[in-house]
Amino acid sequence: MSNATQLAIVPVAGTLSYPPRQSAFTQAFWSGLREGRWQTTCCEDCSKLTFPPKPVCPHCWSTRVAWRPLGSFGTLYSWTRIHAAPSVFASEAPYAVGIVDLADGVRLACRLTGTESFVLAPGLPVEMLVLLYEDGPLFAARPVRDDTPS
Amino acid sequence: MSRRVALIGTSAIPIGRHQTADNEALQVLEHEIMTRLVSEAVRDAGVNKEDIQSLVFTLPRPYTRQKYFHTFLMGQLRLACRGSVMEVMGNGMTAALAFDKACDEILLGRAEVALALGINMESAVSAAEHMMSSMRTTGDVDFHTSAGFTPIAWYAMDATRYMHEHGATREQLGAVAVKNRYHASLNPLAQYRKLITLEEVVSQRPIVEPLGLYDVPPRGDGAACLVLASEEVAGSIGRPYAVVRGRGFCHDGSHQISDVPNDMIAFTSAQQAARAAYGQAGITAADLDLAELYAPCTIVEVLVSEAIGICARGQGARAAFEGETRLGGRIPVSTSGGLTSRGHPAYVTSLYNYVELADQLRGRAGERQVKGARLGLATGELGNYNAALIHVLEAMP
Repeated sequence: MSNATQLAIVPVAGTLSYPPRQSAFTQAFWSGLREGRWQTTCCEDCSKLTFPPKPVCPHCWSTRVAWRPLGSFGTLYSWTRIHAAPSVFASEAPYAVGIVDLADGVRLACRLTGTESFVLAPGLPVEMLVLLYEDGPLFAARPVRDDTPS
Repeated sequence: MSRRVALIGTSAIPIGRHQTADNEALQVLEHEIMTRLVSEAVRDAGVNKEDIQSLVFTLPRPYTRQKYFHTFLMGQLRLACRGSVMEVMGNGMTAALAFDKACDEILLGRAEVALALGINMESAVSAAEHMMSSMRTTGDVDFHTSAGFTPIAWYAMDATRYMHEHGATREQLGAVAVKNRYHASLNPLAQYRKLITLEEVVSQRPIVEPLGLYDVPPRGDGAACLVLASEEVAGSIGRPYAVVRGRGFCHDGSHQISDVPNDMIAFTSAQQAARAAYGQAGITAADLDLAELYAPCTIVEVLVSEAIGICARGQGARAAFEGETRLGGRIPVSTSGGLTSRGHPAYVTSLYNYVELADQLRGRAGERQVKGARLGLATGELGNYNAALIHVLEAMP
């Protein structure tokens, strides 16, 4: 794909605690993510992006959707650190999650990583990245310094 | 005049640990609890078995061994009906939907008397195991659950955002828990009744930051039965009742999070459902005497209070801290003790909210009676208040 967005890939030891399912439709997203490709679907009729990617545009219900790169930078809308976790995530607790507003207008929720030297707060600039577990990828966000966007 | 629905009878067990572990010799059986509650509620209402023509049950938890619980109970009660008999499900909104659909049965003329009832048993299942199911309810199971989101994590993010936007403090949020515990101390149905202090609330271990143990709901079991009737039937019995004056529903078209950025702490579905309910009732928020909110966490009570217009935007936490929402305050909220202290057996939680309204509006709330209570409101919700169902009830002496 031209103008593809390439995210940093951070290898993680171990396997995914709760692996996402893939469909014939979403496997393009997950297999791309494994290689750092950050993308979602855009409606070819109403031109709106949506995330997670969907085979039917939620805005106009068109089925003419195409893959488009997503921007990798955004700001934190909110966050929490989960101490009481479901049993499959217990070994990872406590862990931080957040809501990210990407610069291209898409809001998403994901794991936060690399938070140790930051005071997490709404408005904090973040960058998307790939956590590559032994059995597959997850998208996540990490804080970045205002003046060093990469 | 159009037909109206009245709430004429209630029964409930105290919320707490009722479910037995699989290895216990004597088991607590859900249908034995439920048949007793039906008998008690129908006696409270003053109607006869033959008058009941519709029953709307809340879906039991998957841990309840008896399947098709609703029709099984019809057999236990030898209750023949010509209206509807069903189980409804809508996550946290389940019990509010049971009430709403039972109202519909009467409004449609299918029944003169209808029951909204159910049981939620889960306390013998550990929190970590229960979360294996609940984590799949509040987002996209592939795109969110895989990152470890849990239901109350979303409310925690509301709290972070609210404190950021409005400068609210942990102490102001914690005041909701202290106030609700005080209310619960006066409610025999409540799960936790020992008074707590603000210092105790803010010093609890974190569960989902910034919320600590006392900011989030306990787990527990509960069961309740409501008797609804046409106002004609209610009036003929000669006992006090509460009439449903307004109803509003709104689903905001998102599930947990909208990928088009919006104001996530405005709870627009609650705003719109409240507006519809007030409009139907011909009242404003200022006319309410009490509000019984579906608010699993302290922050949620604050945000719903603002969304339904009983507190100004950004002022809900301050109002709780200053006692405006306490018994005797400007607008008492969660006089039952709320979800944080009365308890939160999720699928039947709203049944307890209507039980509280029935007690208050029939002048039977004892030490926690709101003096002269005439208009009360109850809410139900799902997601992060992505959908809200609101009823306004009025006392009819």
